[in-house]
Amino acid sequence: MSMELETLLKLLVFPGGLTLIALGLLYEYIDRKLVARFQNRVGPRLIQPLADLVKLLAKEEVVPAGVIPLFFVSLPILALAGGLTAALYIPLAGIAPSFSLPGDLIIVIFLLGLLTMAVGLAGANTADRFSILGATRTLTQLFSYEAPFLLALLCPAILADSWQISVVHDSLIGQIWFAALPLWIGFPVAIIGLMGKLEMAPFDAPEAESEIVAGALTEYSGRGLALFRLAKDVELVVGLTLVSAFYLGGLANPLEFLLKTLGLLVVVAALQALFARLRIDQTVGLWWRIGALLALLQLVIVVILKGVIL
Amino acid sequence: MKIGSMLGEIVRAVFRKPATVKYPFGKRQPVPDRLRGVIRYDPANCTGCTLCMKDCPANAIEIIAVDKPNKRFIMRFHADRCTYCAQCVVNCRFKCIAMSNKDWERAALTREPFTVLYGRDEDIDKFLDRTNLEPPGDKP
Amino acid sequence: MTGATKEKFVIPIGPQHPALKEPAHFEFSVDGETVTSASVRFGYVHRGLEKGAESRNWAQAMYLLERICGICSHAHSTAYALGVEKLAKVPAPPRAQAIRQVLLELERIHSHMLWVGVAAHEAGFETLFMYSWRDRETVMDILESFTGNRVNYSANVLGGVKYDLGEAQAGAIRQGLDYLEERLHYYMKIVTSDESFLRRTRGVGTMTAAQAEELGAIGPTARASGVARDLRVDAPYLLYEQFPVTIVLGTTGDLQTRFVVRIQELFESVRMIRNLIAHLPEGELTARFPRRIPEGETISRIEAPRGGLFYFIKSDGGENPARVKVRTPSLRNFMSVLVGSVGHQLADVPMILSGIDPCFSCNDRMTVVRRGRDGAISEGKDPLPRSRS
Repeated sequence: MSMELETLLKLLVFPGGLTLIALGLLYEYIDRKLVARFQNRVGPRLIQPLADLVKLLAKEEVVPAGVIPLFFVSLPILALAGGLTAALYIPLAGIAPSFSLPGDLIIVIFLLGLLTMAVGLAGANTADRFSILGATRTLTQLFSYEAPFLLALLCPAILADSWQISVVHDSLIGQIWFAALPLWIGFPVAIIGLMGKLEMAPFDAPEAESEIVAGALTEYSGRGLALFRLAKDVELVVGLTLVSAFYLGGLANPLEFLLKTLGLLVVVAALQALFARLRIDQTVGLWWRIGALLALLQLVIVVILKGVIL
Repeated sequence: MKIGSMLGEIVRAVFRKPATVKYPFGKRQPVPDRLRGVIRYDPANCTGCTLCMKDCPANAIEIIAVDKPNKRFIMRFHADRCTYCAQCVVNCRFKCIAMSNKDWERAALTREPFTVLYGRDEDIDKFLDRTNLEPPGDKP
Repeated sequence: MTGATKEKFVIPIGPQHPALKEPAHFEFSVDGETVTSASVRFGYVHRGLEKGAESRNWAQAMYLLERICGICSHAHSTAYALGVEKLAKVPAPPRAQAIRQVLLELERIHSHMLWVGVAAHEAGFETLFMYSWRDRETVMDILESFTGNRVNYSANVLGGVKYDLGEAQAGAIRQGLDYLEERLHYYMKIVTSDESFLRRTRGVGTMTAAQAEELGAIGPTARASGVARDLRVDAPYLLYEQFPVTIVLGTTGDLQTRFVVRIQELFESVRMIRNLIAHLPEGELTARFPRRIPEGETISRIEAPRGGLFYFIKSDGGENPARVKVRTPSLRNFMSVLVGSVGHQLADVPMILSGIDPCFSCNDRMTVVRRGRDGAISEGKDPLPRSRS
């Protein structure tokens, strides 16, 4: 009985479920506040993301004509489920992952990609021009950012000889210098890959407000929109945890978790404020060339290191 | 060809005070002297020439003669129509109209505060008796 | 992907769209992401201002016409005042003209900085948007301390201006201009060197000088293509003969050049304002103005921030204007958008649109054109009574 209760608690309260949602909202607040301060503005209050969530949940959900209602309603749930499930395999909050099985790096990457695919499908489902354009752009961007991201995450895994996140993580704890030096090419690839997957500026062509209204999510309102936004926040936390666990020398305890992920968030926020939005052909073109090449280069270095030194 | 050329600016901006003010709770900047707020009417020198009424682009001013031979006038001012252009101030040869630079937050929840009667108290009372109207809005 | 069965996708931009600050209806036919044709439809912000001016007297009409546009309000007011003063043969005193000119140049600074921010916002460069609007507050504060209001300054009266430029105001203006000039140098640096920004603006919406002439573009949009057309130089008004301005020309005619041209125009404006304040003519602020304007028609043209503004004012001797016709510069620049966006990506279209600095509420006038039985084309309004007995 206590085993199941423990599992249930792990799934729903800590470190999954509620804690993850709370962390997601907190990180969204910090991100928006940082970007605002970079732009010399005041920024939102601490409870603003929660207020947005509650407001959206309280509004009526309008199901437009011409959609398949089942998909329309279930895709947001799918997106959020993907994010929440992916969090179970990563060292969230600096403690060991709740569940762990060999090869779960691939599972986590797939679950993170589920969010983007759900957004793309949601856009394609709607009969609105802006949504279809947004869906096309989302899926195009998914192709070009997923592969370098996976390659970048693969490099520490190769160094640690395993595809299981907890094993890789254990081998990297405290090894920041040993791990960081040969991996410094992959680090920016991982960060930019994360920003591309999350559609953060300057890679937010799929939801470019001044061109295609809100992209794939144009017709969403109420609960569906709330769940999509929550899924994005959760994916932000999961992505940051993964990247800092693999590249910043592991997350040994909650304090290190907070410090490293927040440090990474500061860098991400600064990158958001620095650039103009790239066009979709520019984001894809840029990253298929530079990103993939850098990731491959990193892979080659790691393989050589592995074979020669270790 | 520079990437991220605004980096220095944005890092410095984090340590500066934000440029936005949390109105109405934050400290407000002092308003300039020439700010065109709501108008004020002084009936002392008014001759009832109604030039201000004629040139008001929004028909916001009504000069009402309470007692014409004795030069007793009051002004009914529709604050919701006024565009704060100051044409009435320019037109008045006897400087009866001035624009306040302190009274510029004019939002209200009902319509009553927007019809204002300016003038001497006894004139206004005489006018209200004559027309049997409720006193509209506040008398400043 | 060629063939008769190419999918024609029509993307409507507007009337409600986040890219537009005001409603207008653009229809872009796209093939994938490339635009193949474009069309536009206006009229959503038509307010009947020209007709409204006919039922108000000359002084009231000025305030009405000032509110045609919020960003170039003083330009409208000045053009109208200049025209009516020409009709009445009562010119404004030199000091009033100098103050009008100072306000026109201050308004140009305000308008161009607003445009830099808005165009950066369309490109997704939020940081430049926030910074340029923060620095624009300096100009707004100057204008507020000078005239009492941040937009719709209402500084003109028929025959002069209302507000004097004393030493306090001059000092505030000089201080503000020093700060602004420093910031403008910074923005020029960003606009010409930031790589992500250049990728969005270089080569976008290119228009050669010949095309600009053919499509009838005016204002900084045409000057960026090399067409040297500026009403302050071609037909000087106010004190532009005494205090001349140098035309700022660009060569490439793409979006980046438009940024550069506008920011350089701002340097010119700053220089002119400093010059004017230092040599302000003495004298009165207003001249005595009649209430009835003698019969006649006149044309008044000034260089608004977006290009040449054109006023046709007709008087029939009464207290109200008989006809006021306004042609704003934004109307002439739209053809360049429709022609220039063909062949570009859809993502460039809001940038091209904002590159001409559109002001839709300015250009929504209406004319009914009737073709008579004998082929003569007349404006579809009832003819005014010509003879008065």
